[in-house]
Amino acid sequence: MTDQASTEPTVLLVDDNAQNLKVLYETLKDRGYRLLIANDGEKALSLAQRHHPEVILLDIMMPDLDGYQVCERLKADPATADSAVVFLSALDDVDAKLRGFSLGGADYISKPFQAQEVIARVGTHARVIRLERALQQRNRELESDQTRILNAISEGIYGLDAEGNIAFANPAASVISGCGVEELIGQNFFELHFRQPRPCSGALWEEPGEQADTRDRAEPTESALLPVQATCSQGIAEHQRDVTLYRADGTAFPAEYRATPKKEDGQLTGAVVVFRDITTELESEQALDDARNLVQEQRDQLAHASRMATMGEMAAGFAHEVNQPLTAITNYARVALRMLRTDDPDPELLSQTLEKIEAQSHRASEVVKRIRGFVRKPAVGKEVLSVGGLLEETRLFAEVDARNNDGGVNVQVADDVPDVVADPIQVQQVALNLIRNALESTRSAGSREPVSVAARMLDDHTVRIDVRDHGEGLPEDAEQKLFLPFFTTKQEGMGIGLTLCRSLIQAQGGEIGFERPDGAGAVFYFTLPVAPANREN
Amino acid sequence: MTDIQQTVYVVEDDEAVRDSLELLLKSDGKQVKTYPSATDFLGDYSEDMAGCIVLDIRMPGMDGMELQKKLNARHSLLPIIFVTGHGDVPLAVDAMKEGAVDFIQKPYREEALLEKIESALEQDREQRKTLGERQEIVRKIKTLTPRETEIMERMIAGQANKVIAIELDISQRTVEIHRSRVMHKMGTHSLAHLVRMVLSVKDLIDVG
Repeated sequence: MTDQASTEPTVLLVDDNAQNLKVLYETLKDRGYRLLIANDGEKALSLAQRHHPEVILLDIMMPDLDGYQVCERLKADPATADSAVVFLSALDDVDAKLRGFSLGGADYISKPFQAQEVIARVGTHARVIRLERALQQRNRELESDQTRILNAISEGIYGLDAEGNIAFANPAASVISGCGVEELIGQNFFELHFRQPRPCSGALWEEPGEQADTRDRAEPTESALLPVQATCSQGIAEHQRDVTLYRADGTAFPAEYRATPKKEDGQLTGAVVVFRDITTELESEQALDDARNLVQEQRDQLAHASRMATMGEMAAGFAHEVNQPLTAITNYARVALRMLRTDDPDPELLSQTLEKIEAQSHRASEVVKRIRGFVRKPAVGKEVLSVGGLLEETRLFAEVDARNNDGGVNVQVADDVPDVVADPIQVQQVALNLIRNALESTRSAGSREPVSVAARMLDDHTVRIDVRDHGEGLPEDAEQKLFLPFFTTKQEGMGIGLTLCRSLIQAQGGEIGFERPDGAGAVFYFTLPVAPANREN
Repeated sequence: MTDIQQTVYVVEDDEAVRDSLELLLKSDGKQVKTYPSATDFLGDYSEDMAGCIVLDIRMPGMDGMELQKKLNARHSLLPIIFVTGHGDVPLAVDAMKEGAVDFIQKPYREEALLEKIESALEQDREQRKTLGERQEIVRKIKTLTPRETEIMERMIAGQANKVIAIELDISQRTVEIHRSRVMHKMGTHSLAHLVRMVLSVKDLIDVG
């Protein structure tokens, strides 16, 4: 192969006649060839072995080894077999030519030859051999690339025949299976990896398409297909994850595999299976899940703590809410007692008073129930919610504060606002937080404009809720900082509220933000995903 | 004056509290009038009202404290009992400084409320009685001639007859005649009593 690097094709001229050699040499010289000369068969063979000529012009009639013999030996040696042998002879009969071709000759030039013919034929054969050699070189490179890839790849790869017998296995397959490559070849894939007798390919009666789910293989029934089986026997590509495979030693491991049908001329001949052991992957996923759950848990705990804190801040308001009905109850009870002490109690009036007592006690318990609902733990999780109902409930809550802040809260829900999917307590917590901020901000600006809460459709999948105040608005640099932990514009604020709100809204699949409205104040908004049944598409 | 009919004016935004309080006070024999807001009460207010106000300190719109200030500006004499919620004591203290007679925290015992209302009504009666007396003094002062009024002011200021005569450039005798007419019209023989009477109505008339 070393001579392949040279740019000039090599042509070996073989003739026992020095005169002929000279003529050939003169004919081909200065035409871009490296010319070699041999005046007998042995020399020709040894030059051919050393220099791998593209073309050999070979005289047939030579003493000792004649041209045919030389050709035979050239073709027998892999090192020289690919040279194009062009016979030269005065013998101009068909048999001689046929014999030459039958021995692997590429062409035939009759003596006395025409210079132009020699030049043309040599040129053609030199080009052909050059191309052939380049092609073979490329093939060898590709083959070795392929082998390298198959060897280097960490996934196990099997080539299976239609019965599931392993025809090819890469080193990774051997490592994963715990079985040498040589031992793998010829074993049945199903027996090896599923401890199952080789399934009969004719026993498949399931409809294609239903075979995708063969996960419940724990107790295989006769009708259940093993993984890869559909690919081998029906040509259906498969991809499954977390399938239990057995190693050669009988231990099991979770695997992910892809099976691709192998076809030749439209005929199913087997399958290529790419698989890997996903033990570590599953462990990482589990760890990730655990971490995610922990974060979720901590967020819920923080949210709960924050709700408790809010309730603490609103305690005076709630005491008022409960004291109102209690006061009324006490008064009514006294009235009822007085009635009873009169000489002629009016039963009608008395029962009216008692009914009023009952109504007020319900009222008190509603307040208590609302508080209990708000601080209960854990949060109930996502459900389908009416936006109007949720905001109205929040308004009742917020009015406890509105009383303290001399403000009011208006709720407006557009007619087309559909139900959303969210955790009611957490959304209420966010809404309450924003409304309380808005009330406080409005009050500190000395305004008595009510806080307005409005819900509308943002797009087919999203409802947006705006909380607008008429306070002093937000500082210039609020954009960067507002949702960061421990940032606050309030004197007594901790800077946790909005950060938590953002975290809670993101957990619902929504967004939270703010805008500067025309006129005084600020707009804080959040979005919630529309419940699937209500989506337009 | 004491036979005037007193009314307990209840200003309370919570309907149930308002209704129950009205029934309670009526069953105790009180005349009661209720208002759902401070604005409603203010719209109905007149100087002739007698009795007391039971006023919720926290109300949407105009709150109890604000109503108190408005009534003070109109020289209302109606005693106010503030009804407060939990944690409103600082507010109640402010209200007391503004002249409220008392406050009571919700939920309250009937006895405590009625007691406070009784004492507020008593205070109202007293004030009204005093007011009657003072109005009588004012009426008497208004019967004095300008010269008599001038002489009285100087008497109250402690000027001797001689000094008054010189400063007004009249005879001492004339001063004595005016002086005895003032004492007669004001219905007293004692200069000390006259001084007390006139000072008690200082805020009602432009004297001294």
